[in-house]
Amino acid sequence: MTRGTRPPVPGVPSVETMTAIRARNLRKEFRRRGRTTVALDDVSLHVEVGEIVGLLGRNGAGKSTTVDLISGLRTPDAGTVRVLDHAPRTDRAKVRGVLGVQLQQPRLHDALTVLELVRLHRSFYPTGREPDELIEAMGLTGSRRTRFSDLSGGQMQRTSIAVALVGNPRVVILDELTTGLDPEARRGMLDLVRGLRDDGTTVLLVSHHMDEVEKLCDRAVVLEAGRVVAANTPAGLAADAGLAPDAGLEEAYLTLTGGTR
Amino acid sequence: MTDTLTPSLPEVRPGARAWLAMTAAEAKVVARDTAGLIVPLGMPTLILVMNGISFDTDVVIPGTGGRTALDIFVLPITLAFVVAMVGVVNMPSFLAAYRRTGILRRLGVTPASPVMVLVAQAVVGIVQILLGLVLTLGVAWVAFGAHPPVDGWTAVAVLALTVAAMYGVGMLVAAIAPTPQSAVAIGLVAFFAMAALGGMFGPRDNLPEPLADVGGMLPFGAAVDALGAAWAGDVVPLSAVAGLAVATVVSSALAALWFRWE
Repeated sequence: MTRGTRPPVPGVPSVETMTAIRARNLRKEFRRRGRTTVALDDVSLHVEVGEIVGLLGRNGAGKSTTVDLISGLRTPDAGTVRVLDHAPRTDRAKVRGVLGVQLQQPRLHDALTVLELVRLHRSFYPTGREPDELIEAMGLTGSRRTRFSDLSGGQMQRTSIAVALVGNPRVVILDELTTGLDPEARRGMLDLVRGLRDDGTTVLLVSHHMDEVEKLCDRAVVLEAGRVVAANTPAGLAADAGLAPDAGLEEAYLTLTGGTR
Repeated sequence: MTDTLTPSLPEVRPGARAWLAMTAAEAKVVARDTAGLIVPLGMPTLILVMNGISFDTDVVIPGTGGRTALDIFVLPITLAFVVAMVGVVNMPSFLAAYRRTGILRRLGVTPASPVMVLVAQAVVGIVQILLGLVLTLGVAWVAFGAHPPVDGWTAVAVLALTVAAMYGVGMLVAAIAPTPQSAVAIGLVAFFAMAALGGMFGPRDNLPEPLADVGGMLPFGAAVDALGAAWAGDVVPLSAVAGLAVATVVSSALAALWFRWE
């Protein structure tokens, strides 16, 4: 893997020595209609600068809640989160400038075009990527004047990724990156993540696709019922599951989470 | 790693460019919503024309500096209609839709605060209101020979207070409505309740006294009374100003208390 380092940006201190994401002993409960559900229980994870780390787990395992806590959308009931050593809630103005988040469902203004959406989000950052270039990189040039509501699911997904990247973030969270994409677009997105890695960007990749985690990620964290059950390299997870090193990530994941094939 | 060794990241806050871009984006969203654009402009004009045809626009009301029934009664109702339609029906439906579709949540992971959307919507709404007021006054002047208010600055101040009160009610609707559809429904019910008690469908004096009193205190009736006084050159009733001020403060406070971003 070719690991890049970002050129220094005037006024922005080097972050090469920091941990990009550090979560310690996170706990999050949700209370609805008198019932309490524990979404996360004592979850700790870290992502070093320049790493790509996969976050795996079945639906309801706590992946999106973890993303919400790291991106500062929710406050943990217990535990701490740091992004480049800053708290996402209390240091909001600092963290938002270096963090790009693609949330699970594409959620943007229906009435605005792809170009308008990317330009709008670009305006939030003092520096960033050129909207037209980013749109081209996302394969959306032909749809740049199409309203978001008129895009296909895959195009919506790519637009959502474009607005997450337009501020040239140092840390990126991609939640279900390739959901809804056709094979060609999916391959393009995997190349995009490789490009981010080569550029020195840190990526937390939330995914159900074991093959893409195996191809892209330095390490993977496996969540099950709100707890971390394993965290290792893809090959290391097989060993953790008591399998042969070449057993593959999917087999390791199913063993670790008690799933069936 | 200790805090002293940790280089601090620069704070990134949306600048003037971001505020302008957000306001322009909201303007495009409103302009591309045909019903949301046309109804607040077209409906009041239609009401004005219907009333203008019905009223004898040449009969001057004594002691009003030459103002007619159209000036004193119809125009205030139509102007209050414009402001209420945008503030109480339109704006909450947009905000509820943004919450439902997760746009406010999406903005929460960028340097832009969701508050920017609220402000941008308010600014676009005010532009829409100004367009509606100009259209209404223009039609009233050209088609029916309407007169300007005797006390113009008082009318401007009353309109500003009316915008504040209607926005407050609109924010409250946006705060309590669980879905965009319910925001439209609650907004319309609130709008028609205030308008009916405020004299839009007939003189408030025809209502039972308690209802007429309540109607005069609610933002629509209070705005109509205050604007009518400004047009006639009378002292604006304290009860009307108090009604608008209380509606602004109470509804804004409740909206701030209950508003949910997601």
